[in-house]
Amino acid sequence: MTTTDTETPFPEVDSDQDVISRIIAGDRNLFAMLIGRYSDPLYRHALGMTGSPDVAEDILQTSFIKAYHHLGEVRGRFDAWLFRIVANGCKDWLKNIRRTHLSYDEDDQPSGYASPDEDLDRTELRTDLDDALAQLAPSLREAFIMKHVEGRAYEEMADLLGTTVGALKMRVHRAREALQALLEEKYA
Amino acid sequence: MLNQNEAHDDQFGQDLPQRDVAADRSIADRQVADREVPLPGASADGPSLALHAWLDGETGEAEARRADAKQVDLWNRIGAETAARRRMTTPAYVMANVMAALPEASTDARVETQAMLATSVAASAMTEAPGGLSLPIVAMIGAGLFAAGLLVGKMI
Repeated sequence: MTTTDTETPFPEVDSDQDVISRIIAGDRNLFAMLIGRYSDPLYRHALGMTGSPDVAEDILQTSFIKAYHHLGEVRGRFDAWLFRIVANGCKDWLKNIRRTHLSYDEDDQPSGYASPDEDLDRTELRTDLDDALAQLAPSLREAFIMKHVEGRAYEEMADLLGTTVGALKMRVHRAREALQALLEEKYA
Repeated sequence: MLNQNEAHDDQFGQDLPQRDVAADRSIADRQVADREVPLPGASADGPSLALHAWLDGETGEAEARRADAKQVDLWNRIGAETAARRRMTTPAYVMANVMAALPEASTDARVETQAMLATSVAASAMTEAPGGLSLPIVAMIGAGLFAAGLLVGKMI
């Protein structure tokens, strides 16, 4: 089956504000377009912050539902507003949870490595990186995840977090120093 | 672990040595300062500036490698892991769960729209017509005149 522009259910050209107006007017199903646009980076953020796929999914679902019920309150960029809901959800969870050892569900991630040795090595690094990230202060972890996992530019991070590029560079640098300290003995 | 903000002697303050306030202050100061430097066990200077510049995309790997090849290898491995995480996508059932949890046919939005409409109609009804009379009063006067006209017509 070929896909044409007319068959695209959610044309990307619609601005977030246009979509939000139509949702508020009663087209509930268009909310799926907003989920499709932003869920992946937000899921990676929640996963990086919590270390748990289940918790990340819960936070994402709760955040999207909350966003739907408050769509009329969006002022400015929807993606930044939505990011703050998810980021606050992660921080609230971190405040409330008594952290135990958390790791990614191995079954969720297909291996792209060539040999079993490489796969084992990568699994070990993944676990160690999770453990090291869990030891960082939330603000440092957040900055590191946004920079290195989500691949955001410092300017975009500053925009989303409402702080300066300089402060974020400092947080990322300190996160790297801490991670290097925790990992270099074993891996360097 | 001792809480630096509370007295450590028992409630009667007996048979315990006096606290060394100066020492406590020294410990407190050191704890605050610890947060501003690399974690215990960190290498003396942490990643070099060249390494940070490379990781921030400001210089090439060769330059960072000249500064510290072992750290570049470590960060290449960490980079491979973070790149794998960057490809992760939201499980499909998350969107399905969200959509299933939303109120049907956007009831909230309709209620809000109807409320706005009702408010708007009421406001316009209360708008004053020319001459200082409100629209409902004008309508009532019109209806009264019409009824009177009919009555006069029948009498004639």
